Amino acid sequence: MKDKLLTLFLTLTPLSTVAQESTSANIIGVGQSRILDTYINQEKYSGTGFTYLYIKEHARLNRRWNSILEHEADLSTTKDRSRDNQMIEGNYFLYWGLYRHWQFFGDRLLIQAGGLANANLGFLYDTTSSNNPAQGRFSMNLMPAAVATYHFPLFGKQFTLRYELNVPLVGVMFSPNYGQSYYEIFNRGNYDHNIVPTTFVSAPSFRQVATIEWRTSEKWSLRVGYLGNYQQAHVNNLKQHVYAHRVMIGIVHHFTKTIRP
Amino acid sequence: MRKCFTIWIFIPLLTFTACVDEEEFPDTPQGNFEALWKIIDEHYCFFDYKQREYGLDWNNIFNIYKVRARNEADKYQLFEVLTDMLAELRDGHVNLYSSFDNGRYWSWHEDYPTNFSDTLQRKYLGIDYHIASSMRYRILDDNIGYMYYGSFSNPVSDSGLNEILRYFAFCNGLIIDIRSNGGGDLTNAEQLAARFCNEKTLVGYLRHKTGKGHNDFSELEPQYIEPSANLRWQKGTVILTNRGVYSAANDFVKYMKCFPLVKIVGDQTGGGAGMPYTSTLPNGWTVRFSACPSFDKDCKEVEFGIPPDYYVSMTDDDFRHGKDSLIEFARKLLAE
Repeated sequence: MKDKLLTLFLTLTPLSTVAQESTSANIIGVGQSRILDTYINQEKYSGTGFTYLYIKEHARLNRRWNSILEHEADLSTTKDRSRDNQMIEGNYFLYWGLYRHWQFFGDRLLIQAGGLANANLGFLYDTTSSNNPAQGRFSMNLMPAAVATYHFPLFGKQFTLRYELNVPLVGVMFSPNYGQSYYEIFNRGNYDHNIVPTTFVSAPSFRQVATIEWRTSEKWSLRVGYLGNYQQAHVNNLKQHVYAHRVMIGIVHHFTKTIRP
Repeated sequence: MRKCFTIWIFIPLLTFTACVDEEEFPDTPQGNFEALWKIIDEHYCFFDYKQREYGLDWNNIFNIYKVRARNEADKYQLFEVLTDMLAELRDGHVNLYSSFDNGRYWSWHEDYPTNFSDTLQRKYLGIDYHIASSMRYRILDDNIGYMYYGSFSNPVSDSGLNEILRYFAFCNGLIIDIRSNGGGDLTNAEQLAARFCNEKTLVGYLRHKTGKGHNDFSELEPQYIEPSANLRWQKGTVILTNRGVYSAANDFVKYMKCFPLVKIVGDQTGGGAGMPYTSTLPNGWTVRFSACPSFDKDCKEVEFGIPPDYYVSMTDDDFRHGKDSLIEFARKLLAE
Protein backbone atom coordinates (compact mmCIF):
# COMPACT_ATOMS: atom_id res chain seq x y z
CA MET A 1 0.00 0.00 0.00
CA LYS A 2 2.84 2.36 0.90
CA ASP A 3 4.56 1.68 -2.43
CA LYS A 4 1.31 2.31 -4.31
CA LEU A 5 0.83 5.67 -2.59
CA LEU A 6 4.39 6.66 -3.41
CA THR A 7 3.88 5.71 -7.06
CA LEU A 8 0.65 7.72 -7.18
CA PHE A 9 2.40 10.77 -5.63
CA LEU A 10 5.26 10.62 -8.12
CA THR A 11 2.80 10.24 -11.00
CA LEU A 12 0.83 13.31 -9.94
CA THR A 13 3.93 15.45 -9.29
CA PRO A 14 5.15 17.29 -12.41
CA LEU A 15 8.55 16.05 -13.41
CA SER A 16 9.54 19.23 -15.20
CA THR A 17 12.18 21.43 -13.55
CA VAL A 18 13.20 25.08 -13.87
CA ALA A 19 16.65 26.60 -13.65
CA GLN A 20 16.97 29.37 -11.09
CA GLU A 21 19.81 31.82 -11.38
CA SER A 22 20.86 33.46 -8.17
CA THR A 23 23.47 35.92 -7.08
CA SER A 24 24.50 36.78 -3.57
CA ALA A 25 26.67 39.80 -2.90
CA ASN A 26 28.56 40.57 0.29
CA ILE A 27 29.71 44.16 0.24
CA ILE A 28 31.31 46.48 2.78
CA GLY A 29 31.63 50.21 2.58
CA VAL A 30 33.06 53.25 4.24
CA GLY A 31 32.25 56.92 3.82
CA GLN A 32 30.67 60.02 5.22
CA SER A 33 27.55 60.20 7.40
CA ARG A 34 25.65 63.43 8.03
CA ILE A 35 23.02 63.51 10.75
CA LEU A 36 20.31 65.88 11.94
CA ASP A 37 17.67 65.08 14.54
CA THR A 38 15.96 68.08 16.09
CA TYR A 39 14.49 65.94 18.88
CA ILE A 40 18.02 65.55 20.26
CA ASN A 41 19.70 68.66 18.95
CA GLN A 42 19.44 71.54 16.48
CA GLU A 43 23.04 71.07 15.36
CA LYS A 44 24.12 68.84 12.49
CA TYR A 45 26.67 66.11 12.94
CA SER A 46 29.08 64.58 10.43
CA GLY A 47 31.65 61.83 10.53
CA THR A 48 32.67 58.45 9.25
CA GLY A 49 30.35 55.53 8.81
CA PHE A 50 30.64 51.89 7.87
CA THR A 51 28.14 49.72 6.06
CA TYR A 52 27.66 46.05 5.42
CA LEU A 53 25.33 45.21 2.54
CA TYR A 54 24.09 41.78 1.53
CA ILE A 55 22.06 41.43 -1.67
CA LYS A 56 20.50 38.18 -2.81
CA GLU A 57 18.67 38.04 -6.14
CA HIS A 58 16.74 35.12 -7.62
CA ALA A 59 15.65 34.94 -11.25
CA ARG A 60 13.87 31.97 -12.79
CA LEU A 61 14.48 31.47 -16.47
CA ASN A 62 11.47 32.14 -18.68
CA ARG A 63 9.72 33.98 -15.85
CA ARG A 64 8.98 37.73 -15.86
CA TRP A 65 9.35 38.17 -12.10
CA ASN A 66 12.32 37.81 -9.84
CA SER A 67 12.90 38.48 -6.16
CA ILE A 68 15.45 40.40 -4.16
CA LEU A 69 16.46 40.37 -0.49
CA GLU A 70 18.81 42.93 1.03
CA HIS A 71 20.26 43.43 4.50
CA GLU A 72 22.00 46.72 5.21
CA ALA A 73 23.69 47.57 8.51
CA ASP A 74 25.17 51.02 9.15
CA LEU A 75 27.25 52.32 12.04
CA SER A 76 28.62 55.86 12.26
CA THR A 77 30.42 58.05 14.74
CA THR A 78 29.92 61.73 14.11
CA LYS A 79 30.70 65.09 15.69
CA ASP A 80 29.15 68.52 15.53
CA ARG A 81 30.98 71.45 14.00
CA SER A 82 32.61 72.39 17.30
CA ARG A 83 34.05 68.82 17.39
CA ASP A 84 33.21 68.77 21.14
CA ASN A 85 30.01 66.71 20.97
CA GLN A 86 29.64 63.21 19.59
CA MET A 87 26.69 61.32 18.14
CA ILE A 88 26.67 57.59 17.40
CA GLU A 89 24.25 56.27 14.80
CA GLY A 90 23.27 52.69 14.04
CA ASN A 91 20.69 51.42 11.57
CA TYR A 92 19.59 48.12 10.16
CA PHE A 93 17.47 47.94 7.00
CA LEU A 94 15.75 44.87 5.60
CA TYR A 95 14.45 45.02 2.03
CA TRP A 96 12.46 42.32 0.31
CA GLY A 97 10.73 42.73 -3.00
CA LEU A 98 9.65 41.53 -6.40
CA TYR A 99 10.72 42.93 -9.75
CA ARG A 100 9.30 42.50 -13.20
CA HIS A 101 12.04 42.60 -15.78
CA TRP A 102 12.45 43.60 -19.38
CA GLN A 103 15.41 42.80 -21.59
CA PHE A 104 16.76 45.05 -24.33
CA PHE A 105 19.57 44.76 -26.87
CA GLY A 106 19.46 40.99 -26.71
CA ASP A 107 20.23 40.25 -23.09
CA ARG A 108 22.77 43.06 -22.54
CA LEU A 109 20.42 45.50 -20.83
CA LEU A 110 18.08 44.33 -18.12
CA ILE A 111 15.55 46.74 -16.64
CA GLN A 112 13.75 45.66 -13.49
CA ALA A 113 10.96 47.59 -11.80
CA GLY A 114 8.78 46.64 -8.89
CA GLY A 115 8.29 47.15 -5.22
CA LEU A 116 10.10 46.54 -1.97
CA ALA A 117 8.89 46.09 1.56
CA ASN A 118 11.33 47.75 3.94
CA ALA A 119 11.77 47.52 7.71
CA ASN A 120 14.21 49.73 9.59
CA LEU A 121 15.41 49.56 13.18
CA GLY A 122 17.97 52.00 14.50
CA PHE A 123 19.17 54.46 17.09
CA LEU A 124 20.96 57.74 17.61
CA TYR A 125 22.96 58.31 20.78
CA ASP A 126 24.33 61.69 21.81
CA THR A 127 27.18 60.93 24.18
CA THR A 128 27.19 64.42 25.75
CA SER A 129 23.49 64.74 26.52
CA SER A 130 22.20 63.47 29.84
CA ASN A 131 18.45 63.98 29.70
CA ASN A 132 17.39 63.22 26.13
CA PRO A 133 20.48 61.43 24.81
CA ALA A 134 18.93 58.88 22.50
CA GLN A 135 16.43 58.50 19.74
CA GLY A 136 15.00 55.17 18.61
CA ARG A 137 14.20 54.49 15.00
CA PHE A 138 11.61 52.09 13.67
CA SER A 139 9.82 52.28 10.34
CA MET A 140 8.20 50.14 7.69
CA ASN A 141 7.72 51.25 4.10
CA LEU A 142 6.45 50.16 0.76
CA MET A 143 8.93 51.36 -1.81
CA PRO A 144 8.81 51.55 -5.60
CA ALA A 145 12.17 50.27 -6.78
CA ALA A 146 14.06 49.72 -10.00
CA VAL A 147 17.30 48.18 -11.13
CA ALA A 148 19.12 48.67 -14.42
CA THR A 149 21.84 46.18 -15.29
CA TYR A 150 24.07 46.45 -18.34
CA HIS A 151 26.54 43.73 -19.38
CA PHE A 152 29.46 44.61 -21.64
CA PRO A 153 32.84 43.17 -22.60
CA LEU A 154 36.05 45.13 -22.08
CA PHE A 155 39.60 43.92 -22.73
CA GLY A 156 38.23 40.42 -23.18
CA LYS A 157 36.58 40.43 -19.76
CA GLN A 158 32.91 40.61 -18.84
CA PHE A 159 31.77 43.65 -16.91
CA THR A 160 28.39 44.64 -15.51
CA LEU A 161 27.07 48.06 -14.59
CA ARG A 162 24.25 47.99 -12.07
CA TYR A 163 22.14 50.84 -10.74
CA GLU A 164 19.44 50.37 -8.10
CA LEU A 165 17.02 53.06 -6.95
CA ASN A 166 14.52 52.86 -4.05
CA VAL A 167 12.14 55.58 -2.87
CA PRO A 168 9.42 55.26 -0.24
CA LEU A 169 5.78 55.55 -1.22
CA VAL A 170 3.88 54.98 2.02
CA GLY A 171 4.78 53.62 5.41
CA VAL A 172 4.66 54.05 9.16
CA MET A 173 7.34 55.15 11.56
CA PHE A 174 7.89 55.55 15.27
CA SER A 175 8.54 59.04 16.57
CA PRO A 176 8.13 60.74 19.94
CA ASN A 177 6.01 63.86 19.72
CA TYR A 178 7.77 67.24 19.50
CA GLY A 179 8.71 67.58 23.18
CA GLN A 180 7.56 64.22 24.46
CA SER A 181 9.98 62.34 26.68
CA TYR A 182 10.75 58.65 26.41
CA TYR A 183 9.78 58.48 30.10
CA GLU A 184 6.22 59.44 29.13
CA ILE A 185 6.09 56.91 26.30
CA PHE A 186 7.67 53.89 27.91
CA ASN A 187 7.34 54.40 31.68
CA ARG A 188 3.88 55.97 31.73
CA GLY A 189 2.53 54.53 28.48
CA ASN A 190 1.28 57.91 27.26
CA TYR A 191 0.69 57.58 23.52
CA ASP A 192 0.69 60.77 21.44
CA HIS A 193 0.95 60.19 17.67
CA ASN A 194 3.97 57.98 18.19
CA ILE A 195 3.17 55.69 15.26
CA VAL A 196 3.00 58.08 12.34
CA PRO A 197 1.80 57.24 8.82
CA THR A 198 4.35 58.54 6.30
CA THR A 199 4.44 59.23 2.58
CA PHE A 200 7.16 60.33 0.20
CA VAL A 201 6.21 63.91 1.18
CA SER A 202 6.67 63.58 4.97
CA ALA A 203 9.50 61.05 4.71
CA PRO A 204 11.25 61.86 1.42
CA SER A 205 13.95 59.24 1.74
CA PHE A 206 15.91 57.94 -1.20
CA ARG A 207 18.45 55.17 -1.68
CA GLN A 208 20.68 54.37 -4.62
CA VAL A 209 23.39 51.81 -5.31
CA ALA A 210 25.64 52.20 -8.37
CA THR A 211 28.23 49.50 -8.96
CA ILE A 212 30.50 48.07 -11.57
CA GLU A 213 31.23 44.37 -11.48
CA TRP A 214 34.10 42.39 -12.99
CA ARG A 215 33.32 38.76 -13.67
CA THR A 216 36.53 37.09 -12.56
CA SER A 217 35.29 33.54 -13.07
CA GLU A 218 32.13 31.65 -13.89
CA LYS A 219 31.00 31.78 -10.26
CA TRP A 220 32.63 34.88 -8.82
CA SER A 221 32.67 38.61 -9.46
CA LEU A 222 34.30 41.59 -7.85
CA ARG A 223 31.91 44.49 -7.27
CA VAL A 224 32.84 48.10 -6.44
CA GLY A 225 30.62 51.15 -6.33
CA TYR A 226 28.69 53.74 -4.39
CA LEU A 227 25.83 53.44 -1.94
CA GLY A 228 23.82 56.52 -1.07
CA ASN A 229 21.16 56.11 1.59
CA TYR A 230 19.38 59.35 2.40
CA GLN A 231 16.85 58.83 5.18
CA GLN A 232 14.66 61.84 5.92
CA ALA A 233 11.50 62.56 7.86
CA HIS A 234 9.52 65.56 9.02
CA VAL A 235 6.87 64.31 11.44
CA ASN A 236 5.44 65.60 14.75
CA ASN A 237 7.18 68.93 14.04
CA LEU A 238 10.53 67.15 14.30
CA LYS A 239 13.08 67.06 11.52
CA GLN A 240 15.55 64.27 11.00
CA HIS A 241 17.94 63.08 8.35
CA VAL A 242 20.76 60.59 8.06
CA TYR A 243 22.70 60.92 4.81
CA ALA A 244 25.07 57.98 4.28
CA HIS A 245 27.58 58.10 1.41
CA ARG A 246 29.66 54.97 1.05
CA VAL A 247 32.36 53.65 -1.24
CA MET A 248 31.61 49.95 -1.50
CA ILE A 249 33.62 46.88 -2.37
CA GLY A 250 32.61 43.24 -2.24
CA ILE A 251 32.30 39.90 -3.91
CA VAL A 252 29.40 38.36 -5.78
CA HIS A 253 28.67 34.66 -5.98
CA HIS A 254 26.72 33.46 -9.05
CA PHE A 255 25.08 30.08 -8.99
CA THR A 256 22.38 28.19 -10.82
CA LYS A 257 20.22 25.53 -9.30
CA THR A 258 17.46 23.40 -10.66
CA ILE A 259 14.19 23.47 -8.79
CA ARG A 260 10.70 22.07 -9.25
CA PRO A 261 8.34 24.92 -10.15
CA MET B 1 4.42 50.45 -18.60
CA ARG B 2 3.69 54.13 -19.29
CA LYS B 3 2.17 54.52 -15.76
CA CYS B 4 5.21 52.88 -14.29
CA PHE B 5 7.54 55.36 -15.98
CA THR B 6 5.37 58.29 -14.82
CA ILE B 7 5.73 57.16 -11.20
CA TRP B 8 9.43 56.74 -11.72
CA ILE B 9 9.86 60.25 -13.02
CA PHE B 10 7.80 62.09 -10.40
CA ILE B 11 8.59 60.36 -7.12
CA PRO B 12 12.36 60.88 -7.37
CA LEU B 13 11.78 64.49 -8.43
CA LEU B 14 9.69 65.12 -5.31
CA THR B 15 12.28 63.36 -3.22
CA PHE B 16 15.18 65.37 -4.63
CA THR B 17 13.46 68.68 -4.04
CA ALA B 18 12.30 67.90 -0.49
CA CYS B 19 15.40 68.06 1.69
CA VAL B 20 14.57 67.92 5.40
CA ASP B 21 16.97 70.46 6.84
CA GLU B 22 17.30 72.98 9.67
CA GLU B 23 18.54 76.55 9.75
CA GLU B 24 22.11 76.87 11.00
CA PHE B 25 23.35 79.89 12.89
CA PRO B 26 26.95 81.04 12.40
CA ASP B 27 29.46 80.25 15.12
CA THR B 28 29.83 83.88 16.18
CA PRO B 29 28.75 85.51 19.46
CA GLN B 30 25.65 86.86 17.72
CA GLY B 31 24.97 83.48 16.06
CA ASN B 32 25.34 81.60 19.35
CA PHE B 33 23.11 84.11 21.08
CA GLU B 34 20.40 83.73 18.46
CA ALA B 35 20.70 79.94 18.44
CA LEU B 36 20.29 79.82 22.22
CA TRP B 37 17.34 82.23 22.21
CA LYS B 38 15.63 80.13 19.51
CA ILE B 39 16.21 76.80 21.29
CA ILE B 40 14.59 78.18 24.44
CA ASP B 41 11.87 79.97 22.47
CA GLU B 42 10.79 76.77 20.74
CA HIS B 43 11.22 74.25 23.55
CA TYR B 44 10.97 75.87 26.99
CA CYS B 45 7.74 74.90 28.74
CA PHE B 46 7.01 77.56 31.41
CA PHE B 47 6.70 80.82 29.42
CA ASP B 48 3.01 81.28 30.06
CA TYR B 49 3.22 80.43 33.77
CA LYS B 50 6.21 82.71 34.37
CA GLN B 51 4.65 85.51 32.39
CA ARG B 52 1.75 85.36 34.86
CA GLU B 53 4.00 84.98 37.92
CA TYR B 54 6.55 87.73 37.32
CA GLY B 55 5.99 89.15 33.83
CA LEU B 56 8.56 87.16 31.84
CA ASP B 57 8.55 88.36 28.21
CA TRP B 58 10.93 86.25 26.12
CA ASN B 59 10.65 88.46 23.04
CA ASN B 60 11.67 91.46 25.10
CA ILE B 61 14.56 89.46 26.58
CA PHE B 62 15.87 89.02 23.01
CA ASN B 63 15.98 92.77 22.47
CA ILE B 64 17.62 93.43 25.85
CA TYR B 65 20.42 90.88 25.47
CA LYS B 66 21.01 91.15 21.71
CA VAL B 67 22.93 94.39 22.20
CA ARG B 68 25.16 92.72 24.80
CA ALA B 69 26.05 89.76 22.55
CA ARG B 70 28.39 91.78 20.34
CA ASN B 71 30.52 89.95 17.81
CA GLU B 72 33.62 91.45 19.47
CA ALA B 73 32.81 89.67 22.77
CA ASP B 74 35.28 87.00 23.85
CA LYS B 75 34.02 83.61 25.02
CA TYR B 76 33.99 84.61 28.69
CA GLN B 77 31.95 87.73 28.01
CA LEU B 78 29.59 85.80 25.78
CA PHE B 79 29.16 83.12 28.44
CA GLU B 80 28.24 85.78 30.97
CA VAL B 81 25.69 87.37 28.65
CA LEU B 82 24.07 84.04 27.78
CA THR B 83 23.99 82.92 31.42
CA ASP B 84 22.40 86.22 32.43
CA MET B 85 19.78 85.79 29.72
CA LEU B 86 18.97 82.25 30.89
CA ALA B 87 18.74 83.44 34.50
CA GLU B 88 15.71 85.49 33.46
CA LEU B 89 13.85 82.17 33.34
CA ARG B 90 14.44 81.66 37.11
CA ASP B 91 14.75 77.95 36.60
CA GLY B 92 17.24 75.62 38.28
CA HIS B 93 16.87 73.19 35.39
CA VAL B 94 18.29 75.77 32.99
CA ASN B 95 22.07 75.60 32.66
CA LEU B 96 24.76 76.49 30.18
CA TYR B 97 27.78 74.20 30.13
CA SER B 98 31.13 75.19 28.66
CA SER B 99 34.59 73.75 29.13
CA PHE B 100 35.41 76.50 31.65
CA ASP B 101 32.19 77.05 33.63
CA ASN B 102 28.63 75.94 34.32
CA GLY B 103 26.10 78.75 33.99
CA ARG B 104 23.33 78.38 36.56
CA TYR B 105 20.46 79.97 38.42
CA TRP B 106 20.51 78.72 41.99
CA SER B 107 18.58 81.45 43.77
CA TRP B 108 15.80 78.95 44.41
CA HIS B 109 17.92 77.61 47.29
CA GLU B 110 20.80 80.08 47.72
CA ASP B 111 18.41 82.88 48.75
CA TYR B 112 16.99 80.83 51.64
CA PRO B 113 18.29 79.24 54.83
CA THR B 114 19.59 75.71 54.34
CA ASN B 115 17.68 74.27 57.31
CA PHE B 116 20.00 71.32 57.18
CA SER B 117 23.30 70.56 58.86
CA ASP B 118 25.28 67.41 58.24
CA THR B 119 27.06 68.07 61.53
CA LEU B 120 23.76 67.78 63.37
CA GLN B 121 22.63 64.88 61.24
CA ARG B 122 25.72 62.98 62.34
CA LYS B 123 24.55 63.30 65.94
CA TYR B 124 21.36 61.43 65.03
CA LEU B 125 22.86 58.86 62.67
CA GLY B 126 25.98 58.24 64.75
CA ILE B 127 28.54 56.02 63.08
CA ASP B 128 26.80 52.68 63.33
CA TYR B 129 23.95 53.46 60.94
CA HIS B 130 23.05 51.14 58.07
CA ILE B 131 23.19 51.81 54.35
CA ALA B 132 20.87 50.12 51.84
CA SER B 133 19.32 51.25 48.57
CA SER B 134 21.50 54.37 48.75
CA MET B 135 19.81 55.34 52.05
CA ARG B 136 21.38 55.81 55.47
CA TYR B 137 19.06 54.64 58.20
CA ARG B 138 18.76 53.80 61.88
CA ILE B 139 16.21 53.69 64.71
CA LEU B 140 16.29 56.76 66.97
CA ASP B 141 16.11 56.30 70.73
CA ASP B 142 12.36 57.10 70.90
CA ASN B 143 11.68 54.19 68.53
CA ILE B 144 11.21 56.39 65.47
CA GLY B 145 12.80 55.20 62.24
CA TYR B 146 15.04 57.71 60.45
CA MET B 147 16.33 57.41 56.89
CA TYR B 148 18.24 59.89 54.77
CA TYR B 149 18.12 59.82 50.97
CA GLY B 150 20.52 62.39 49.53
CA SER B 151 19.94 62.00 45.80
CA PHE B 152 17.34 60.37 43.59
CA SER B 153 20.17 59.70 41.15
CA ASN B 154 21.27 56.92 43.50
CA PRO B 155 19.41 53.71 42.67
CA VAL B 156 16.89 52.09 44.99
CA SER B 157 16.13 48.39 44.91
CA ASP B 158 13.07 46.44 46.01
CA SER B 159 15.17 44.10 48.12
CA GLY B 160 16.89 47.06 49.80
CA LEU B 161 13.59 48.77 50.58
CA ASN B 162 12.24 45.49 51.96
CA GLU B 163 15.20 45.26 54.33
CA ILE B 164 14.81 48.86 55.48
CA LEU B 165 11.06 48.56 56.13
CA ARG B 166 11.53 45.21 57.87
CA TYR B 167 14.16 46.83 60.11
CA PHE B 168 11.70 49.61 60.98
CA ALA B 169 8.73 47.22 61.40
CA PHE B 170 8.31 47.80 65.16
CA CYS B 171 8.94 51.55 65.05
CA ASN B 172 6.19 54.01 65.98
CA GLY B 173 6.74 56.14 62.90
CA LEU B 174 9.18 56.96 60.13
CA ILE B 175 11.10 60.09 59.18
CA ILE B 176 12.29 60.30 55.57
CA ASP B 177 14.84 63.08 55.34
CA ILE B 178 15.33 64.30 51.77
CA ARG B 179 16.71 67.75 52.60
CA SER B 180 19.09 69.03 49.92
CA ASN B 181 18.13 66.16 47.63
CA GLY B 182 18.54 67.82 44.22
CA GLY B 183 16.65 65.15 42.28
CA GLY B 184 17.62 62.42 39.85
CA ASP B 185 15.62 59.60 38.37
CA LEU B 186 11.84 59.89 38.57
CA THR B 187 11.45 56.11 38.61
CA ASN B 188 13.35 55.99 41.92
CA ALA B 189 10.90 58.52 43.37
CA GLU B 190 7.96 56.43 42.13
CA GLN B 191 9.45 53.19 43.45
CA LEU B 192 9.93 54.66 46.93
CA ALA B 193 6.50 56.35 47.00
CA ALA B 194 4.81 53.07 46.06
CA ARG B 195 5.83 51.73 49.50
CA PHE B 196 3.43 54.22 51.14
CA CYS B 197 0.51 53.71 48.78
CA ASN B 198 -2.38 51.30 49.43
CA GLU B 199 -4.47 51.98 46.34
CA LYS B 200 -3.93 53.40 42.90
CA THR B 201 -3.66 57.12 43.63
CA LEU B 202 -3.76 60.15 41.37
CA VAL B 203 -0.67 62.18 42.23
CA GLY B 204 -0.40 64.69 39.39
CA TYR B 205 -0.45 65.40 35.70
CA LEU B 206 2.12 65.56 32.91
CA ARG B 207 2.11 67.08 29.48
CA HIS B 208 4.60 67.93 26.76
CA LYS B 209 5.06 70.38 23.95
CA THR B 210 3.64 69.43 20.56
CA GLY B 211 5.06 72.34 18.58
CA LYS B 212 7.18 75.48 18.62
CA GLY B 213 4.51 77.85 19.96
CA HIS B 214 4.73 78.83 23.62
CA ASN B 215 1.33 77.27 24.28
CA ASP B 216 1.53 74.21 22.01
CA PHE B 217 0.93 71.49 24.59
CA SER B 218 -0.55 68.01 24.61
CA GLU B 219 -3.52 67.09 26.76
CA LEU B 220 -2.81 66.64 30.47
CA GLU B 221 -2.02 63.01 31.20
CA PRO B 222 -2.76 61.81 34.75
CA GLN B 223 0.08 60.41 36.84
CA TYR B 224 -0.77 57.56 39.18
CA ILE B 225 1.19 55.76 41.85
CA GLU B 226 0.21 52.12 42.27
CA PRO B 227 0.81 50.17 45.49
CA SER B 228 4.03 48.22 45.61
CA ALA B 229 3.63 44.44 45.61
CA ASN B 230 6.34 44.31 48.29
CA LEU B 231 6.36 45.46 51.92
CA ARG B 232 4.42 48.69 52.43
CA TRP B 233 4.61 51.14 55.35
CA GLN B 234 1.33 51.56 57.25
CA LYS B 235 2.22 53.99 60.03
CA GLY B 236 2.75 57.70 60.29
CA THR B 237 5.48 59.18 58.10
CA VAL B 238 7.12 62.59 58.03
CA ILE B 239 9.06 63.90 55.04
CA LEU B 240 11.68 66.55 55.91
CA THR B 241 12.17 69.18 53.24
CA ASN B 242 14.15 72.33 52.60
CA ARG B 243 14.70 74.63 49.63
CA GLY B 244 17.31 72.23 48.29
CA VAL B 245 14.64 69.64 47.48
CA TYR B 246 14.43 69.90 43.72
CA SER B 247 13.35 68.14 40.53
CA ALA B 248 12.66 64.43 41.13
CA ALA B 249 12.77 65.08 44.89
CA ASN B 250 10.13 67.78 44.37
CA ASP B 251 8.06 65.18 42.51
CA PHE B 252 8.52 62.74 45.38
CA VAL B 253 7.04 65.31 47.79
CA LYS B 254 4.21 65.87 45.31
CA TYR B 255 3.46 62.13 45.36
CA MET B 256 3.76 61.73 49.12
CA LYS B 257 1.41 64.63 49.82
CA CYS B 258 -1.36 62.50 48.35
CA PHE B 259 -1.10 59.78 51.00
CA PRO B 260 -3.13 60.25 54.22
CA LEU B 261 -0.51 59.09 56.76
CA VAL B 262 2.22 61.35 55.38
CA LYS B 263 3.06 64.87 56.57
CA ILE B 264 5.59 67.28 55.08
CA VAL B 265 7.73 69.20 57.59
CA GLY B 266 10.35 71.87 56.99
CA ASP B 267 10.58 74.57 54.35
CA GLN B 268 8.95 74.88 50.94
CA THR B 269 10.71 72.72 48.37
CA GLY B 270 12.87 74.32 45.69
CA GLY B 271 10.62 73.24 42.82
CA GLY B 272 11.82 72.18 39.38
CA ALA B 273 8.72 70.74 37.76
CA GLY B 274 9.98 70.65 34.19
CA MET B 275 11.69 67.55 32.89
CA PRO B 276 14.93 68.85 31.41
CA TYR B 277 16.26 68.37 27.87
CA THR B 278 19.59 69.38 26.43
CA SER B 279 20.77 70.86 23.16
CA THR B 280 23.99 72.40 21.88
CA LEU B 281 25.06 75.72 20.41
CA PRO B 282 27.20 76.25 17.31
CA ASN B 283 30.29 76.72 19.52
CA GLY B 284 29.70 73.39 21.27
CA TRP B 285 28.34 74.70 24.58
CA THR B 286 25.49 72.64 25.94
CA VAL B 287 22.27 74.14 27.19
CA ARG B 288 19.81 72.38 29.51
CA PHE B 289 16.24 73.58 29.85
CA SER B 290 12.82 72.52 31.18
CA ALA B 291 10.82 70.82 28.43
CA CYS B 292 7.94 68.77 29.92
CA PRO B 293 5.93 70.39 32.71
CA SER B 294 4.32 68.45 35.53
CA PHE B 295 1.56 69.51 37.91
CA ASP B 296 0.13 68.33 41.22
CA LYS B 297 -3.09 66.35 41.59
CA ASP B 298 -5.13 69.57 41.49
CA CYS B 299 -3.41 70.67 38.25
CA LYS B 300 -1.53 73.38 40.12
CA GLU B 301 2.01 74.40 39.19
CA VAL B 302 4.81 73.09 41.41
CA GLU B 303 7.64 74.70 39.41
CA PHE B 304 8.42 77.10 42.27
CA GLY B 305 8.06 74.51 45.00
CA ILE B 306 5.59 72.76 47.28
CA PRO B 307 4.71 74.22 50.68
CA PRO B 308 5.04 71.88 53.68
CA ASP B 309 2.18 70.94 55.99
CA TYR B 310 4.25 72.40 58.85
CA TYR B 311 6.76 75.20 58.28
CA VAL B 312 9.68 74.51 60.61
CA SER B 313 13.07 76.23 60.49
CA MET B 314 16.32 75.37 62.18
CA THR B 315 16.78 77.60 65.24
CA ASP B 316 20.09 78.88 66.56
CA ASP B 317 19.16 77.70 70.02
CA ASP B 318 18.55 74.13 68.85
CA PHE B 319 21.74 74.23 66.80
CA ARG B 320 23.76 75.27 69.85
CA HIS B 321 22.25 72.38 71.79
CA GLY B 322 23.06 69.90 69.05
CA LYS B 323 19.46 69.43 68.03
CA ASP B 324 17.99 69.43 64.55
CA SER B 325 14.76 71.46 64.89
CA LEU B 326 13.09 69.65 61.98
CA ILE B 327 13.89 66.15 63.23
CA GLU B 328 12.77 67.07 66.73
CA PHE B 329 9.48 68.47 65.41
CA ALA B 330 8.92 65.34 63.34
CA ARG B 331 9.53 63.09 66.35
CA LYS B 332 6.95 64.97 68.38
CA LEU B 333 4.47 64.88 65.53
CA LEU B 334 4.87 61.11 65.13
CA ALA B 335 4.55 60.58 68.89
CA GLU B 336 1.13 62.31 68.97
